[in-house]
Amino acid sequence: MNKTMNVARYEYLHHVSNKRFWISLIGIPLGFVLLFGLSALLSRLSFDTRPVGIVDKSDLIQLEPDNSINSTFFEPQIYLQVFADERAALASIKANEIQGYAILPEDYLSRFQIIYWANKQPLSDVISLISDFVSKNLMVSENIAPEVVSRINEGNQITLQSLDGSQVYEETNTDRIAVPILVGGLNFILVMTSGGYLLQALVEEKENRTLEILLTSVPSREIMAGKIIGNLSIGFTEIGSWVILLGIAGVVLRDKLEFLMALDISFSYVAVSIALTIFSFIFSAALMVTIGAMMTSSAEAQGVTGLMVIPMMLPVYLFGTFMNNPNGILPRVLSFFPLSSPLAIALRMAISSVSQMEILLAFVVIFSLTLLMIWLAGVAFKRGMLLSNPRLLLRKKFNKETRDA
Amino acid sequence: MSTIIVDKIAKSFGATQAVKDVSFEVRPGEIFGLLGPNGSGKTTSIRVILDIYQPDSGSVTILGGPMTNVKLNQIGYIPEERGLYQDVPLDRCLTYLATLKGLTEDQVNERLPKYLAKFDLTDHAKKKAKELSKGMQQKGQLIAALIHDPEIIIIDEPFSSLDPVNTQLVKDLLIEQRNAGKTIVMCTHQMNQVEQLCDRLVLIDHGRVLLEGELSEVRKRFRTNEVIIDALNPLPEQLKGVSRIEKLNDAYRLTPQEGITAQELLTELVEQGIKLNSFEVAVPTLDEIFIRVVKEGNGDYE
Repeated sequence: MNKTMNVARYEYLHHVSNKRFWISLIGIPLGFVLLFGLSALLSRLSFDTRPVGIVDKSDLIQLEPDNSINSTFFEPQIYLQVFADERAALASIKANEIQGYAILPEDYLSRFQIIYWANKQPLSDVISLISDFVSKNLMVSENIAPEVVSRINEGNQITLQSLDGSQVYEETNTDRIAVPILVGGLNFILVMTSGGYLLQALVEEKENRTLEILLTSVPSREIMAGKIIGNLSIGFTEIGSWVILLGIAGVVLRDKLEFLMALDISFSYVAVSIALTIFSFIFSAALMVTIGAMMTSSAEAQGVTGLMVIPMMLPVYLFGTFMNNPNGILPRVLSFFPLSSPLAIALRMAISSVSQMEILLAFVVIFSLTLLMIWLAGVAFKRGMLLSNPRLLLRKKFNKETRDA
Repeated sequence: MSTIIVDKIAKSFGATQAVKDVSFEVRPGEIFGLLGPNGSGKTTSIRVILDIYQPDSGSVTILGGPMTNVKLNQIGYIPEERGLYQDVPLDRCLTYLATLKGLTEDQVNERLPKYLAKFDLTDHAKKKAKELSKGMQQKGQLIAALIHDPEIIIIDEPFSSLDPVNTQLVKDLLIEQRNAGKTIVMCTHQMNQVEQLCDRLVLIDHGRVLLEGELSEVRKRFRTNEVIIDALNPLPEQLKGVSRIEKLNDAYRLTPQEGITAQELLTELVEQGIKLNSFEVAVPTLDEIFIRVVKEGNGDYE
């Protein structure tokens, strides 16, 4: 165990003292901030906040537009402005005071047709705003009680309950989608950072021709465990640093992030997802050790790191399939495959109900496959790392040679 | 009790039989030569001894039993494929490798400066391995193999790509370690070095043992009645009792007929009036023994 920790410490310090680590530590969040910041800024700057006019020729409008919410830079609002006639609205649009105006013609109540006049295509927000306002007025004109009008506008809340009572899913609880995003991000970062470092460490051991000295100092499984622990710690260091950074940003921008406090996500859901992610990473680390034993150069290793992300992100590529039938065959199969399982289960739990038994079974399957993968990695590591043509290992090792493990 | 006992080990990789039925013993405090041509199974045998490979059959006893994690700390190994972490300063690299051999960092801090000074590397300790010359890297690897004061030192091809100065340094070091009671296994095909250093040897080829024993005994076993003379005047084409005369650079090699002794040959030369600068019974070099044994063993030594 002491030697395992020696290997882990060396791996950790070796990579942390490398400029690649610091570029990744600072560059990734900076890249995100720049990417999302620029995107949000451009989107905000192109958001037309000028009011939208309404000209009612059908005498339907009875309610005053609700312009009570303050418009800010971060939460811009589009207000409605009722005009007495079309001429006034036209003058206002020419004066650049409004972005466009909608006309409810005299025969609106028979044709339900609204005409919107503007110089450019309106945002969908504008159409929704006009549509909601007109719908409310329609309902009021039919003497429907205001609280019912409000209820109809908010829509129904449907709660899904599994027969065994273990899972409850509220259709309107869209907060849960944050968990698959978290799991996907965590997976991606761990594989691209820790996984990449791990594969690089193995290949460097070959390039430096130091492995044989290591194998005569430390048992192969302890070397492998040390390398996995060391490189996993690098990933956690990066994630930990970013979490601290996000925490600081959260404190600074707490007024703008109140919605986070209102997120309705159960602790057990997050815990299951993160536990599966860690198991999945250990599996992928062992898989990388096995692949690393076949690699002969750093360039090859970097290519493989990128490929590893593909199966992990399969549930994202198959998002449509998951949304249409989250408990279909494909989503279920992906729930038991270690690389895709964390994201598949998190996604299914976000949009549907997954039984406790299925989650437990997924843990058992992934744990067993992870143990098997570690065993295979041990064999590949000891044998393949010393072969002059390690690809031959694929043919040789997993028959007669495996008994040596 | 022997330090290492290799008992009928066999190891194959797929269809290739790297080692078959190899047995030998290494005694405490000796320099033991594990000899053989390229691809003969030397490195595989070493890896089996070091527990890197498990033998298909047979067994290895080291320091009185099977290999354990504790015993790994009592072995210093320099593989044929030399290596150091190229992007890491030499002192950090050696500290890491020493701690993997069970030394604490305090012990390393105490010992390393002495070794660096001994190998004239003090001024290069902070340099990365890739900034060092090949000879310096070799010396760094020697430090890695010795710093933990191992009971057994195993060196695969100890003199490969070393200049004469560093070759002498390694030879002196091996002798020093033997004098300190360490057991040394030297794996090589450079016979002249073996002749100078080894107490005993085993010769393997195509994964089989062809020869084993003490160096002096092996040479005696392959000795012939041939003599080498340095004559001051030319030899006649035929000499009584001599079946073959071979001209060497500055001498002749005479092969006596069956039953003719060296003494009788000398008498004949004197009677023929040949003036001699020197007369010596030819002892076969290890190179000659090596080539002869390998050729007789399988006939395809390259």
